[in-house]
This record gives sequence, C-alpha cells and structure tokens, in this order.
Amino acid sequence: MTAPGPDTDGLADARVRTAQLRRIRRLDDAERVARQALASWPDDAGLLCELAAVLLAAERWAEALPVADTAVAADPPGERGHRLRGLLLSMTDRHQEALAAAWVAVTLAPEEPCTGIAYTRVLQRAGRVRDAAQAAHRVVTLAPSSADAHYLLADVAGDLGDLPTARRAYEETLRLAPEHAAARHDLAVLDANARRPGRALRGLIDAGRLAPAMTQVRSTVVAVLWQLSGRTRLWFVLATIAVLMTADNPSAARIVGGVVLALTGLLGWWTLRGLPRGSWPVLAATLRTDRPLTVVHAVLAVCLLVLVAVVVTGVGALAILVWFALIVLGLLTIVVRLARRRRRTRR
Amino acid sequence: MTDDSLLTSLLAAVAAAPDDVPLRLHVAELLAAADRPADALAHCSHVLAAEPGNPTALALLQRLTGALTGGAAPHPRTANEPPTGPLPAAGFDWAKAEQQVADVREPAFAEDAGSSPTEDVRTAERPMIRLSDVGGMDEVKQRLELAFLGPVRNPDMARRFGATARGGLLLYGPPGCGKTFIARAVAGELGARFVEIGIADVLDMWVGSSERNLAEIFRTARRNAPCVLFLDEVDALGRKRSHLTHSGSLRNTVNQLLSEMDSATGANDGVFVLGATNHPWDLDSALRRPGRFDRMLLVLPPDGPARAAILRQHLKDRPVAELDVAKLVKATEHYSGADLAHVCDTAAERALAASMRSGTVRALTTRDLLAAAREVTPSTGPWFAAARNVALFGNTDGSYDDLAAYLKRHRNL
Repeated sequence: MTAPGPDTDGLADARVRTAQLRRIRRLDDAERVARQALASWPDDAGLLCELAAVLLAAERWAEALPVADTAVAADPPGERGHRLRGLLLSMTDRHQEALAAAWVAVTLAPEEPCTGIAYTRVLQRAGRVRDAAQAAHRVVTLAPSSADAHYLLADVAGDLGDLPTARRAYEETLRLAPEHAAARHDLAVLDANARRPGRALRGLIDAGRLAPAMTQVRSTVVAVLWQLSGRTRLWFVLATIAVLMTADNPSAARIVGGVVLALTGLLGWWTLRGLPRGSWPVLAATLRTDRPLTVVHAVLAVCLLVLVAVVVTGVGALAILVWFALIVLGLLTIVVRLARRRRRTRR
Repeated sequence: MTDDSLLTSLLAAVAAAPDDVPLRLHVAELLAAADRPADALAHCSHVLAAEPGNPTALALLQRLTGALTGGAAPHPRTANEPPTGPLPAAGFDWAKAEQQVADVREPAFAEDAGSSPTEDVRTAERPMIRLSDVGGMDEVKQRLELAFLGPVRNPDMARRFGATARGGLLLYGPPGCGKTFIARAVAGELGARFVEIGIADVLDMWVGSSERNLAEIFRTARRNAPCVLFLDEVDALGRKRSHLTHSGSLRNTVNQLLSEMDSATGANDGVFVLGATNHPWDLDSALRRPGRFDRMLLVLPPDGPARAAILRQHLKDRPVAELDVAKLVKATEHYSGADLAHVCDTAAERALAASMRSGTVRALTTRDLLAAAREVTPSTGPWFAAARNVALFGNTDGSYDDLAAYLKRHRNL
C-alpha cells in the first residue's frame, strides 16, 4: 500500500551501488539493483535518476525516458532529472523538447559543469553547433581542469570546422588525461583530414594501445591506409609518365626509374618516419583485415617491382603495365567505395 | 456502501492522487476507526513527509502511536489548550520508556550492517569436480597444468627451473565458455576450498567499507587455507584506475585489491587467487604485474569434443531419434556452452510443438538441431570483434599471443 519503513540506509546504499555499478559498466547489475530498490521506494527521484542514467548508458533510450519523466515529476526542482530527460529526448530525436528540458537543468544549476556538458550535447545534436560551441566554451570556463570539458569543446569545434580550436582542445584534453583514448583517436582523425597520414597513424596506434577494445580505431586505420594508397597511386601516375618519356633510351629509363624508386622510398620514409616501435606488424595485420585494401597494396607492390624491372632491364615501356594496374585499382576503389556507401545507407 | 467498500474506493483514490493530503488524512482517520492503526500510521507518515507541520496529522499520529504502544490514546489537544492531566512525576518511568522503544532498531555501525562478506569464505566447500570432468578443452587443461597446477604441486622442482608458484591466474575469454567451471575444477585438483567472490560481495556505500570487505575476505581466506579465491568478473573490481577518476572509492578498492594480491600470493600461504574476466584489457595494468595476475589463460568456446559432450549432456533427458553429432559439432563452431544449451532448448521447443500438433511424441532429430543452430547466432561474436582489435593493437608485450594465434587460425586476423 505504501512504502515500507524509512530505511534510509537501504535507499542510500541502493543509489550508491547503482552509481558504482554503472561506472564500472556493470549495467545489467546496476539496473537490477535500481529496480529492486524502486520496488520499495517507487517515488525516490535519486533512484529514478540512477536508473535513467543506467538505461541511458545502455542506449535503451525509449525505456529510460519514462523513468526520467517520473524522476522529474517526483522532484521538479532537481536538476539531474531534467538533465537526463534532455539527453534522452535528444537521443530519441525530439530536439525541441530536449532543448527545453536541458535549458531547465541549466537554469536550475548554472554553475554545474555536468549540466553544461549535457546542454552542449543537446545543442550539438539539434544542429545548433554555433550555440553548442558557445556553451562548450562556458563549460571550459566552469571546469578548466576537466578533460571532459576540453574534449567536448574539441568535438564541437571540430563540427563547426574550427580546426585550430579543436586541435588545441584535444591537446589540452590529452595533457590533462594522457590516457584519453577517444581524444587521441579524434586528434588522429583531424590529422588524417589535414592530409598528415603518418601523424594520424601514430595517433591511432597510440589510441589502440590505450583502449584496445575501441573498435573504431581499426576502421580509422583502414581509412588512413586507403588515403595513403590514393597518394601512392597519384605518385605512381607521375612517376610512370617520367619513365615512359625516357622509354626510347634504356640508360635514361634506368636512371629515371632509379630516381623514381629512390624518391618513392624517401617519400615513404618521410610519411611514416614518426611511427612508434612495433607499428609495422600492427599495420600489416590491419591491412589484412580489409580484403580490397590488401589487394590494392599488393598491386602497388607489383607496380614497384615493375619499376625495379625497368631499372634492371632498361625497358622503359614496361612502365605501361603500371598504368594498367593503376586503372584497375581506380576502378576497384570506386566499386568498393560505392558498395560501402550503399551498405552504410542500408544500415 | 459498507465501510470496507468505502475504504477500498478511497484507497484507490489515494493511489490515483498520492499527494492529496486531505484525502489521505481522511483515509487515515477511517483506517484508525476501523481498528487498522498500522495502515493509518503509514498514511499519516506520508502526510507528514509532505507537510511536516500539519496539525491534524500530528494529532492523529499521537493518537495512533498511543494505540500501537498499548497505552490509552491520549485525547488530541490543540496548541492553545492548557494541559489538563497531572504533571509527570519527578521520577521518570524508565521501564515504561524502554518498553516503548523496544521495537526501535538499534543503529548499526558500518561494519556491522548487513551480512558479513566473509560468510561465503567460512562456509565454502571443497569441490569434488576435477579437470578430467571438463569435457574436451585439452589445450586449456594442458596449459593449466603447466602454468599453474604443476608449479603449485611441485614448488621445489619449479624453483629449480626458475619457475614459481607465486602469483594468481587470470582466465579470460568470451562469456559462457566455462571459466567458472574450470576454476572449480582447479580447486578440486588442489583439494582446496572454493570461494567465489563477485563485485556485489565487496561494494559498499560507506567510505572505506568496500576496501575493508575485500581485506576481510582475503584475511578469512588465509585463515581457511588451502583455499581458491575466485574473483569472478575481476575487471569490475580491478578496473583501470584511469577510468575511475570520478570515483575515489572504486579507485581505493583497486588499490586494496593490489595490496591483497601481493600479500596473498607473495607469502604462498595456501591461498590461490584465480580471476575470470571477459575483458582483460579493462584490467588495471598493475594487476598484471609479477606476483599478481601474471599468468593468463585463454578459455575459448568449447572445441569439437567439448561441444559434443555439452550437446549430449543437454539432450540426455530428451527424446532423441537419431543424432549426427559430428554434423552438429561442425555447425556450432564458436558457440559457447550457453549458446549450445540455447540451441538444444530451441530444437526441443520445436519438437514439442510438433508433438502437440500431432498428438504423439516426435523425437528430436539432427535436422531440428541444425535448424535451431541456424536460428541461434553465437553470442561470442561481439567478443571476438573486440578481441580482434586487442590482438592488433594491445598485444605489445605478447600477452595475447594465444588469442592472436587462435584468430589467425580462424582467419580473423
């Protein structure tokens, strides 16, 4: 009929236990503890918020939303309920309501960085990136020594296209929390987008070592290797033109072929010179996980061998084989890109 | 309307509008009149929680308390009304006062609250199962013998060859593949008590209590040696401290675990610490240092013979017509023990449905089980997706060589 006796220890224990289990990602256990406790204290806003937070972490947004609603109804002046409600509404793409809820949370606790982070995320997801950037700057002012605050600013600045701010903020995040794998990964993505594949690969390998189970690291490494293969193909096109121009003269073909090989080696060393020790087996293994990429690199290796054959035989016309190979690779790249885009849109 | 039905309707109304104070007070009055003071008191408390100074509720509370403690219910008195009864005697009636508070629960100190976490250690039994009871998994058993059981059984010989019986053993692998069963079998081999410790046995809301619980568990284990202390899902207790920046209490628990591991395994006093985890990469690196969990053993999904044994076990009490075990074993590569049980259950459900339709018992066939295997996807898939990444990026010190070799063998790397 009503709640049992006021066993406040039991209630506090359930709240703390749920929060601890959530922090160590024991989400099923955390949910069980919260639900068991809610059977005794069904109107406790703190407990409802804990359950909503667990379900939010488990990405069960539709189930979490009514729980957050109940938490807000049980304790209207409580900031956390509104904050969670805002995040959950945002995750279910109800952006206007999400903004209203997150705004209530911010007005209730304007000095609380967590609330500012939530409000920024809601703005970001609603597409109001400029406002989100302003909010993120405010969060950094509130919590200048919080790695999460700087990571948020970096993320929003990246979305806004403000790459210098994003880079600075990622670097600050890593200064404050050197094991922040997500920041390391995202900084590497910035490097890749800035056409610095060597730095990007170094960052990605670091991120992979910090959080080996972070599956997106492998896919980003694959993307960077595709980018590198594109560069190499472009270089081979130019190199082949140079070799073919000297096809009539075997000595000249030998010299140009040799210079091309030397420059290829030099460029490769220059690009990948900063890779940490033990990176090569990682890159080779990652390469093998993507079949089309393996084929592309195998063909590029064959192209190199053709250039070696030009140097050895002096027959510059052999370089035409490189062109054929590059045309085949171009077609393969287009097919793979189309197929993957189609698969992504289907998902 | 009778009193009961009136009360039922009013209680329903209270349930629909829990914050309606006058209604709740009215219900409380009716319950008190119906000689249900405990129920009335609950409603009264609810009202006072919402409006702490509500005079009607206070008066009713006074009346109800009197009724519940057996004394005559004092007449409700307004604030301005002067006391009419005699003043209390100078000598206070302690006996009566104590009687009144006899049912009040005594406040407990943090360490006394709840049942003791060491209860399980004291009452632990010595498992009767041995490694020979584990079906298949010959490679795991061999490695277990070489890396753990051998040095523990022959410490002197191990010392001569530079090996040591110190340190704990970490079993890792996808969920549902029998890590706990193997740990029990290890305890059986050593003739030691088996104590399974989970996160729930340790976590406590009071500052410092989780650490104390952990210390007490290890202390009791030492007192009850020989003992296999099995830390299930050890990544929950020993999570990377860099991931616990917001929780000082959990960080301290990891520190305590490190210190306990040092003292438990360093002294080699008959406490064998075994851990199991699905995510060894989430463990704090300090836990993997020598003397702690310095030996790791990959427990993979059951191999062919193990799958055959598990399938036979799950089908032994069910009607089975003909069974091509080899075909089933081939179709269930990467399935965990739990997945195999699920396959058998699904096939049994299907056969049961067919039997009910026909009215006669239709025994399970290979076809039923193959169809069920196609329906049930192995739950180990997401684990292997993460494991592939780990083998790629996280194997800098060769800790995951076994895993990498397995993945290569199955063309996943």
